[in-house]
Amino acid sequence: MDLIHPHTKRDAAEALRDASAAGTRALVVGGRRHADKGEPTEVDAELWTTLLDDRVAYDPAEMLCVVEAGMRIRDLRMLLADGGQEWPVDAPDDATVGGVIATGGPTIRQLRVGAMRDTVVEMEVVTGDGRLVRSGARTVKNVTGYDVHRLMTGSLGTLGVIVQVALKVRPLPKMTRTLVTHEGGIELGRGLLDAVPLPAAVLAGPDRIVVRLEGWPEEVEEQTAAARSVAAAEELDTPFPGPLFPKAPIVAEAAVAPSRLGTLVAELGAYRALMGIGFAWVPFDDGSALGAFRSRVAELGGIAPVIRGPGGLGDDALPAADVHRRIKDAMDPAGILAPGRMG
Amino acid sequence: MPDLDAARKDLIAALGPEAVLTDPHALRLYARDASMVEGSAGLVAFVRSTEDVVACMRVAARHDLPVVPRGSGTGLAGAATPLGDPLLVVTSKMDRILEVSPEDRLAWVEPGVFNLDLANELRALGFTYAPDPSSQQVSSIGGNVNTNAGGPHCLAYGVTSAHVLALDVVLPDGTVERVGSEAPAARGYDLRGFVVGSEGTLGVVTAICVRLTPLPPAVRTMLLDFADVDDCARTVSGIVARGVVPAAIEMMDQGIVRAVEAFVHAGYPTDAAAVLLVEVDGIAAAVEAQAREIEAAAREHHVGTIRVASDDAERALLWKGRKSAFGAIARIAPHYHLHDCVVPRTKLAEILSGVYEIASRHDIVVTNVFHAGDGNLHPLFSFDRTVPGTLERVLAASDELVRLCVDAGGALSGEHGIGLEKRDFMPLVFTPDDLDAQACLRAAFDPDGRMNPRKVLPDGARCGDYAAAALAAEGALPEGTWI
Repeated sequence: MDLIHPHTKRDAAEALRDASAAGTRALVVGGRRHADKGEPTEVDAELWTTLLDDRVAYDPAEMLCVVEAGMRIRDLRMLLADGGQEWPVDAPDDATVGGVIATGGPTIRQLRVGAMRDTVVEMEVVTGDGRLVRSGARTVKNVTGYDVHRLMTGSLGTLGVIVQVALKVRPLPKMTRTLVTHEGGIELGRGLLDAVPLPAAVLAGPDRIVVRLEGWPEEVEEQTAAARSVAAAEELDTPFPGPLFPKAPIVAEAAVAPSRLGTLVAELGAYRALMGIGFAWVPFDDGSALGAFRSRVAELGGIAPVIRGPGGLGDDALPAADVHRRIKDAMDPAGILAPGRMG
Repeated sequence: MPDLDAARKDLIAALGPEAVLTDPHALRLYARDASMVEGSAGLVAFVRSTEDVVACMRVAARHDLPVVPRGSGTGLAGAATPLGDPLLVVTSKMDRILEVSPEDRLAWVEPGVFNLDLANELRALGFTYAPDPSSQQVSSIGGNVNTNAGGPHCLAYGVTSAHVLALDVVLPDGTVERVGSEAPAARGYDLRGFVVGSEGTLGVVTAICVRLTPLPPAVRTMLLDFADVDDCARTVSGIVARGVVPAAIEMMDQGIVRAVEAFVHAGYPTDAAAVLLVEVDGIAAAVEAQAREIEAAAREHHVGTIRVASDDAERALLWKGRKSAFGAIARIAPHYHLHDCVVPRTKLAEILSGVYEIASRHDIVVTNVFHAGDGNLHPLFSFDRTVPGTLERVLAASDELVRLCVDAGGALSGEHGIGLEKRDFMPLVFTPDDLDAQACLRAAFDPDGRMNPRKVLPDGARCGDYAAAALAAEGALPEGTWI
């Protein structure tokens, strides 16, 4: 397998122009944290974004940060911490900014900080045939032109290589606290969600609920009291969010309407359900149990892509399949990027 | 040329005679939206269901008619102005709230539901619909979706796209697709996110799944006045620098304060050079803490008085002043032209002096009332267009204004859209490759180029095949052809 490791956006553009001309199938790789998602088929080359990791512009007063997309989450976190701010996504240190955006991963603290997709305000992307395309603007609000970056977010590297982004960042909370209960279940999770004002996350498992609180100190105290009025809860001092089923060979990331989480996990022995949002992470030992789970998810109107191990995105039909095909043709006319990954 | 008479017959057969406007005088009423550009509608259809919209799309396809969707017609950029006698699909009669699910924190609504009606309906359940454009009494959710509308409270809560979970869209070929999902993730590309803000150029939205936002337990609304515009503008970044993101920071200058005060009598200080209307919300303790920081930031910048709304009635009155600003300025002159460029918020002070300088040089009255926290300007030129030469001066000043904002690293529009009015400024902020990619992605939804043609993208920005065809026919295209 060939390696494409561009130092600059222009290098990336030239490499993809050549790859398109030669029909070289390529997989874009950032921190390799989501390499399983969408089960990319065999490719001829990998394009690593990790040398595209410069800081481009950051002024805390603008609450915007512009970086090249190969920057690691750890480096971005340190850069922003100097300005008393954060990019509110819950991704591992060694993931890259572009990788997190391209895989469209959920933000665990979404209830409080919003969805990752709404933090990307400007993007530069190199298309499959090597054109450099920018969309959006370096302003917190903007409706100028079509938001190409919306399509790129979560597109799993099938449309182009994200090379630079402007991100909406926010002040670091003055205080954070993680509580854990001694009992679990969706019912209790819902009780906590209803009782605690403006929590960052209520993550329910079968035998415990983790409640993440953040804000002004007085606020966190008030939230803590509200949580404890529902269930006994201890303070947890491990990092939040903790790892999800690190030993499981297969982990699915189901998404259903939040009220359906109870039905979704009713017969499962292990799960983490994000109350009020509708994500549930479920471990599996093998594909047959996954298949049964996916049937249930489909009945509930959701999806369940696998984020670790084999299993792909599932075989739900793409909405507006013709539109999907024409979008792919517009961005990657030679079809060299991650063939088969989006289906 | 499309045969309008034949198309009208087909449309009446499909929708019934009462749903199709035929009177030429009535058609004139639909020749423009709230922008300054006038066009002409060939046919106007009032749809009542997704099936009606499908029928419209089929008739339009059969007769090769362009289609322009229209909500309440309050758009300020000309996106709903019909050009070249298209079929105008008016969604204002699709005005039902279809479903409210507090447990899922979502509601399904038809596009014609007024923004404020939805917010009021949700209030009883302890929720709101967060985007609150100043036009919210009369602008519809469908229109809000198509412009990706903002509003004062988008500073903390985000614009429309952050509050739309899913859409039912009728594509130009008449197929109906649901994009997005009630679930927090959906299969495929984020078509939902691409359709929001697309100004009716990709299809007709017939149902919207919106996200509900819990009403905050506590709210505090403050009016801060300043003797100096610069101090007022710099307070905005001062607040942000303290790690506070208020729910809203609105700025109004003296001209607009005086017009508003004469109109609503809210006790706005008419002798101040500028005022900030700041709102913080959340848990009571957090509201206290944020208010303290805001007051400290304001004092650093020589604030005059700080008035805190003592109850809901006073709070409503202060907001009424802000939201009726565009009505109030009718007292200054009969016509207005409004821009909504966005600039980095740290450059607000210098951009504002630039705005005043441009207006003064062109001898136009300018007032400013805007979303300062977002850096989203709303310079408002007031004038009488019946005075010869006035409109030309206004347009010249507008041109300079846009360039000033773009040179400062800004964007053409923060929430009103590009439509027709700002279409030809697009090359100021995008390269030909950028515009070509946008054109090709637009064509992915609308391969025949019949959806709201000649909007958003400047003539000349087109997708591959269009480029070849249009170049070959250069100069030989009939008026109104999609180019």
